[in-house]
Amino acid sequence: IDRCTPKKQPTNWIQQHPVYQGMKSLEVGDSAQIHAAFLVYMDLSEARHWNKVSYMKSPELEVVLLEGRELEGGPVQTVLPLPVHQNVNHRSLRRVLDRGFPLLLCAVGSDSTLVYQRMTDGLVTPDPPVGPFQDVDRRHQRKRRQQD
Amino acid sequence: MATDDPGNRRPSPLSLSSSFRQGLMSDQISEEQEAESQSHVVAVSLVDSTPLLWRMQDLRAVRGQGLVGALVGSLARVPRQNGRMGRPLQLLQEEQRLLGEQGAIAMATRKQVSEERRSLVFESFDSYRSYEEQTVLALEDKKSSLLRAMTTPTPHTESKHVALRGHLETLDHHFTFPRSGLAVQLSTARAGLTYCPEDRVYLQADRSPRGPVSPQSEAKYQVFRDLRGRGFYLTSAGKFGGDFLVYPGDPLRFHSHFIAICLSLDESMCLLDVLTVARLGSNVKKTVLLCSATPEGGVVYTSLQWSGMV
Repeated sequence: IDRCTPKKQPTNWIQQHPVYQGMKSLEVGDSAQIHAAFLVYMDLSEARHWNKVSYMKSPELEVVLLEGRELEGGPVQTVLPLPVHQNVNHRSLRRVLDRGFPLLLCAVGSDSTLVYQRMTDGLVTPDPPVGPFQDVDRRHQRKRRQQD
Repeated sequence: MATDDPGNRRPSPLSLSSSFRQGLMSDQISEEQEAESQSHVVAVSLVDSTPLLWRMQDLRAVRGQGLVGALVGSLARVPRQNGRMGRPLQLLQEEQRLLGEQGAIAMATRKQVSEERRSLVFESFDSYRSYEEQTVLALEDKKSSLLRAMTTPTPHTESKHVALRGHLETLDHHFTFPRSGLAVQLSTARAGLTYCPEDRVYLQADRSPRGPVSPQSEAKYQVFRDLRGRGFYLTSAGKFGGDFLVYPGDPLRFHSHFIAICLSLDESMCLLDVLTVARLGSNVKKTVLLCSATPEGGVVYTSLQWSGMV
């Protein structure tokens, strides 16, 4: 074993990625948020194959926002990437919603897990439960109670 | 931008189409009742700061105005359960305030009860059976129990029987019925249901002054009033980790659509908490509603839903 040769440093491909460097140049000031934004960018463009993903700075919020279409010709959506331990308030969410596009909030975990939540202005009725529906007779209710 | 208005009500999965039609018909009837109940003034009893309604016409009127409340009384026939509760109906603070602003609520104030009046109140309690009547009845009871003791064959000695007989003979002279043994009927039902002034005075708790309204409760009230004004029914949502459950119609007929969480526009929430509440909402098929009151007086709503992106 040759101990004299220094171990080759693995290349930090993220920091060298042009998109990452572009996001950094926006000078948002929060490196954790930039890292989160980059991970979401890669997920949308490479893993989910979104049609177009671009990034920009949100002037009011000091964060990097993503914008894109899932399908060609589809609606434009805003994506707000945030590290999961960060705090957020309703006012900043409203400001991002004011852009006029449907909003996806993406929480980025420390292990790079991504969780997307849809945020919409107004009251959105949830989807109804799927049928067919059966009235449970007394015997089944008793059985279920025994199982609990 | 999707909006939910009560016209797009979905029936609960357990209702059939025929009952949905019946529901529509009963909607028309309830509109007439609603007009009637608008003018009705409900009588609220306060236990500390908890508002309670006792009278049937009050409960009906309040339901007609779209306020649900919660039944908290036990039922006399099935006391040891809380699956089915009876009167009184406990109102939410927001419901009480809404009724108050409409001038539809009357809280009987506790007047200073003078000593003279207090004795009059206690006099009235003798209405069940007067002291004299009860004395007579008690004496008869005592005699019959003594007789029973004398006539039952027991291994007691003869001397005991003699003593008992002697006691029986002198009972008429020596028997006194203590006033503390007087049976009193206190009509709690009457006290709550009518304005029987003697009973109400006795049973009413001291009315505690309402403290300063905190900004959180003010925000909650703004949201409550706005959603109620849009025709939704609201109940408390402690079971779902929110502030209100929002129903498109009467809770007896529909499942709730939303879990409303009231916060101020600048209140900071941890993103983990947002994820928690969104996950809970998707598990129970309800949309989480973030509600904030704006300084202009309106309320903004943001619906939070599972994206469907695994």
